[in-house]
Amino acid sequence: MFAYALRRLLFAIPTLLVISFIIFALLDLSPGDPTANLPLTIPAEVREQIRISLGLGEPFHIRYVKWLEQFFVNEPLHLIEQATGWSFGEGQRMRVISWQTRSPVTDLILERLPQTLWVVGLSYLVGILIAIPIGVISAYRQYSWFDQFGTLFSMIGFSAPTFFTGLLFIVIFSVWLGWLPSIYDTNLRVTNAQTLWLQIRQMIMPVMVLALFNAAQLSRFMRASMLDNLGQEYVRTARAKGLRERAVILIHVLRNSLIPVVTVIALGIPTIFGGAIITEQIFRVNGIGQLLITGIQGADIPLVQTLTFMFAVLIVLFNLVADLLYGMLDPRIRYE
Amino acid sequence: MTLRHMLTGAAALALLAPAAHAERGSDGQVNVLYWQAVSIMTPYLSSGTKDLEAASLVLEPLARFGPDGQLVPYLAEDIPTLENGGISEDLTTITWKLKEGILWSDGTPVTADDAVFTWQYCTDPDGGCAQLPNFGDVASVEAVDPQTIKVTFSVPKPYPYGPLVGAQSPLIQKAQFANCLGVAAPTCTEANTKPIGTGPFVVDDFKANDVVVLSANPNFRDPEKPAFANMVLKGGGDAASAARSVLETGEFDYAWNAQVEPEILTAMEAAGKGKVVSAFGTLVERIQVNQTDPDPALGEERSTVKHPHPILTDENVVKALSLAIDRAILIETGYGAAGQMTCNLVPAPEYNASTNNDWCKTRDVDQANKLLDEAGWMMGSDGVREKDGKRLSLLFQSSTNSVRQAAQALIKQDWAQIGVETELRNIDGGVFFGGDPGSPDTFQKFFADVEMYANNFDGTDPEKYLGDWVCSQAPSIENQWQGNNTSRMCNPDYDALHAELGKTAGQDARAKIAIELNDMIVNSPSFIPLVHRGRVSTKSNALGGVIMNPWDSELWNAADWYREKS
Amino acid sequence: MSDAATPLPRAAEPLLRVEGLKMHFPIYKGVLRRRAGAVKAVDDITFSVAEGETLGLVGESGCGKSTAGRAILRLYEPTAGAIVLEGRDIAHLEGDALRTLRPKMQMIFQDPQASLNPRMTVGSIIAEPLDEHTRQSRAARRARVTELMDAVGLNRTFVNRYPHEFSGGQRQRIGIARALALNPKFIVCDEPIAALDVSIQAQVVNLLEDLQQQLGLTYLFISHDLSMVRHLATRVAVMYLGKLVEIAARETLYDRPAHPYTQALISAVPSPNPEIEAKRRRIVLKGDVPSPSNPPPGCAFSTRCPRVFDRCRIETPPLYDLGGGHRAACFLAEPAARAA
Ligand SMILES: Nc1ncnc2c1ncn2[C@@H]1O[C@H](COP(=O)(O)OP(=O)(O)OP(=O)(O)O)[C@@H](O)[C@H]1O
Ligand code: SF4
Ligand SMILES: [Mg+2]
Repeated sequence: MFAYALRRLLFAIPTLLVISFIIFALLDLSPGDPTANLPLTIPAEVREQIRISLGLGEPFHIRYVKWLEQFFVNEPLHLIEQATGWSFGEGQRMRVISWQTRSPVTDLILERLPQTLWVVGLSYLVGILIAIPIGVISAYRQYSWFDQFGTLFSMIGFSAPTFFTGLLFIVIFSVWLGWLPSIYDTNLRVTNAQTLWLQIRQMIMPVMVLALFNAAQLSRFMRASMLDNLGQEYVRTARAKGLRERAVILIHVLRNSLIPVVTVIALGIPTIFGGAIITEQIFRVNGIGQLLITGIQGADIPLVQTLTFMFAVLIVLFNLVADLLYGMLDPRIRYE
Repeated sequence: MTLRHMLTGAAALALLAPAAHAERGSDGQVNVLYWQAVSIMTPYLSSGTKDLEAASLVLEPLARFGPDGQLVPYLAEDIPTLENGGISEDLTTITWKLKEGILWSDGTPVTADDAVFTWQYCTDPDGGCAQLPNFGDVASVEAVDPQTIKVTFSVPKPYPYGPLVGAQSPLIQKAQFANCLGVAAPTCTEANTKPIGTGPFVVDDFKANDVVVLSANPNFRDPEKPAFANMVLKGGGDAASAARSVLETGEFDYAWNAQVEPEILTAMEAAGKGKVVSAFGTLVERIQVNQTDPDPALGEERSTVKHPHPILTDENVVKALSLAIDRAILIETGYGAAGQMTCNLVPAPEYNASTNNDWCKTRDVDQANKLLDEAGWMMGSDGVREKDGKRLSLLFQSSTNSVRQAAQALIKQDWAQIGVETELRNIDGGVFFGGDPGSPDTFQKFFADVEMYANNFDGTDPEKYLGDWVCSQAPSIENQWQGNNTSRMCNPDYDALHAELGKTAGQDARAKIAIELNDMIVNSPSFIPLVHRGRVSTKSNALGGVIMNPWDSELWNAADWYREKS
Repeated sequence: MSDAATPLPRAAEPLLRVEGLKMHFPIYKGVLRRRAGAVKAVDDITFSVAEGETLGLVGESGCGKSTAGRAILRLYEPTAGAIVLEGRDIAHLEGDALRTLRPKMQMIFQDPQASLNPRMTVGSIIAEPLDEHTRQSRAARRARVTELMDAVGLNRTFVNRYPHEFSGGQRQRIGIARALALNPKFIVCDEPIAALDVSIQAQVVNLLEDLQQQLGLTYLFISHDLSMVRHLATRVAVMYLGKLVEIAARETLYDRPAHPYTQALISAVPSPNPEIEAKRRRIVLKGDVPSPSNPPPGCAFSTRCPRVFDRCRIETPPLYDLGGGHRAACFLAEPAARAA
């Protein structure tokens, strides 16, 4: 399995290089202009100067090679320097700089990672915790009122967009009841019980909005997988053995049903890092999703390029993780 | 500047002083929401309004514009004028004197060198400075002595209040930015996000496109201000929820730019936690009337001055079109608190606004019909007027935007009542305003009879803006369709008067000419004013001292904000 | 009806008695899932199995053999009827009462691949019932697992392998070992060899026979292979469309089948008796088996019976007793009719 993983990782390198090139080319071809958002009162000559100062005067391939150098050489070196205090060579190494904010892209990403992981990551977790029992019970009691309710729940959860549920939550819990804040404070540092409580309060709504959305999808998946397994002969065998019903469901059916669900969960992990653009916007969580969308709106190519590329890396990585997990969980699959 | 204007300026300042004022920092924290999040704290590297306004809390110019459009001295002792000798007789220099004892937030004194450096910083050819237009025609900025700054222009400048005035060109500290000239500008992350300034606040923590945390500047020149010890400038989300957080949940004290449908905003305001505040600058939604013939049959010469428009060069016809429009409905449905009636191209500041054209404010369908009858356009059997076998039928284009399309539909109805047939068209904003000479759909090419959009100008002086209407500014093949005179109005008298404006100094004299120029446009057949659009923001009832200002940053007087005692 | 409280004398009571067993699966239709009829997979069957014997249960695919076997082992909740095992009606037992009964009766499943949990090792598959029903030490359990593996002819070193690493025959041996783990008395073998290669079928059948002798097991042997049933069974029951149509001792059934359906089935099987084999003429049935959710009125076989007559389409023939434990559900077998 180790050799397999290593081989897959090696193959990923050329794939990712090609992806980075495609992203770069697509962004270059797209009509966005970093000066497009400037007011009409700014004259064309000034716009052109701004463009040149951003490096847009150079031809495409030079800009691509520069980005490669910045991302693959300068950024890692910078990271190592930061971590160890050593210094390699001298002089200014150009890092990937965002056009909009004029600060290094990786710093921006690191700044946003905590809230994204807290909110989106936690919502993913909560979503899973909600989805699995719902899926299990729905399948076990197929067509019962619980199942019908679960179907309704997931239909609503899946088809109601997060901007709607988010707004609904805000109107109910912030405007009417006044229980929860509608705006996320990214500066809040959890240091004691009181700040922890504040943190929990401000996370409840965005986490739940996303969790419901995730749970809706995942619970259907869990249900289908459970139904698949419940109809299997080995379940009858387990009953014939005289196992308690709980043991039949939890040990036999659930464990087998979880295999495909776990891979789906693993494949979805990159989306956590991608943030949740809409939910982040509604509650002003301002994580990676919001960073990406403002980057796109402002035609901040270095930022968008770097972020999308990092998503690509994560996707490739978690595809591998999902495959390996499948291999670990299902004895019928072996990687050589 | 006359004494009268000095006095109104002072009166405006006096107005700002809250009744009972405690000491600096005694009012705790104020929470401000900019739904377009702040990206950077230097206006020179971004000209996004949000960034300019955030920077205005920290960085200050020599003078700002007050809510009435009058200059208010900030770092300067007073406003230089011809009368007080601050502006040279030949109109090529302006000399500013700094106030005594002003300190940067790090405790060092502000000197004329900082002003000189600011000019060098922005004019460095490799820096990509977004505020370059403010330093247009500046030959040099010199430090006559540590307190005196002399700006020399390469040409006579009757309106010399561009450089180092207003939210767009504040002073930056030489010591902090010395190594950030030219190509190095974007690498100075620390300076760009936490500039040292003279304003009421200093940046404690900056998270790009997310949140800025500020605290009271210990070295601010007024020892009693600001009343707030901290300000949090949060970003992100959309306009509606920003307004909600002030008006309904009360989590925030102030939210910028409430671009929300009027009914929704009114409903939110009804919760009673805050108020909608608005201010009207120079933005006017208008109909530009093509004075040239857009007939496709003309091929290359379509919409060029070679072929005058067969219908719309008659001023009575255009006046009838203007009279038929129900502007009150347009405002009510599309703009609410963000719109008001105007009959001018230059609607503000008050001293520049004409009052001669107010006939457009009342709708008069009978008069409009009469004008068209007199012009020889007779009502046809199908309800569309005709003349010489030609139908009074117009192609009306605009950019794609729900408010504009609603307005287009209303205007179409209004015009149908006077026998004018209208075909509507809307074009994606990116294309319409994109200026691509290859596209037939730009607002400059104007391959239609009438088109609707909004435009405005920076600051209070309309000279350059009015310059858009001279003959040579008409878009044409020769200038790659880049001219700003989209109506292709061409009136030699207008051009001559505009040239005179360029030689006239003094606010009153300039205002007189500007009003005359404005009236020439409004009474020509090339322009139909629709709505004077303003900025709308929301403020909580618990926040005092807010005075909306269309001419400068909305946060221009944050030093005077205070917590309302309930 | 007898129950656990009043056990009948042992000799008189067979190990298993099934009376009027019905297993109907409801059919739901429409958005609201209203009940719209039922699949009568097993419809009123009655028979008994004596201790130590093998009852063969034959019939076409879909006639309800597996359902009957599962219902008897209480893997289903039967719709009606009694299942009396060792004098106790277990038809409606539930929960722990049922669970504690499981060691007595076991099943060997039709599909050895599907009936083993793919994520469990052979060792844990076999040991699981021991964990559940006994309080043995780990070592004792392990010893029992290897003992069982030896008994069914599985290499004991394979104890940590997963089912997919075995051949079909080996997997069925795992299934058998698992079924034997708790020393059951009664085993339903649901076509245990149907999914196997012919060469392996004989091995497994031999194994089952050996085990029966050694352990004194009682089998309900479900199959549609009549030759295999003839080889194994002491008595044979024939099912058609959820109903029992004939039941008799092996020799009687194969030599003198009374029901036209049985006759047709047997006519397809070569007989070891040369006399009979010489006279054997294949009876080919026409038409399809009717749906168990909508059986024909009268005799269930009437749509395909070569000897059908008017009465068959109106009345349902009861199971006539032909003497010597031979019973058949056909009007032609009615004692009066035979006399005529
Ligand atoms: N759970 C169920 N729900 C509904 N119908 C069922 C169910 N199980 C079996 N049936 C139906 O009952 C009938 C009998 O099925 P069963 O599996 O008992 O047949 P069988 O005789 O074992 O056939 P085979 O020889 O193919 O195994 C079939 O028509 C089948 O479709
Ligand atoms: S009862 Fe009639 S239909 Fe049924 S098996 Fe006998 S002869 Fe055939
Ligand atoms: Mg079967």
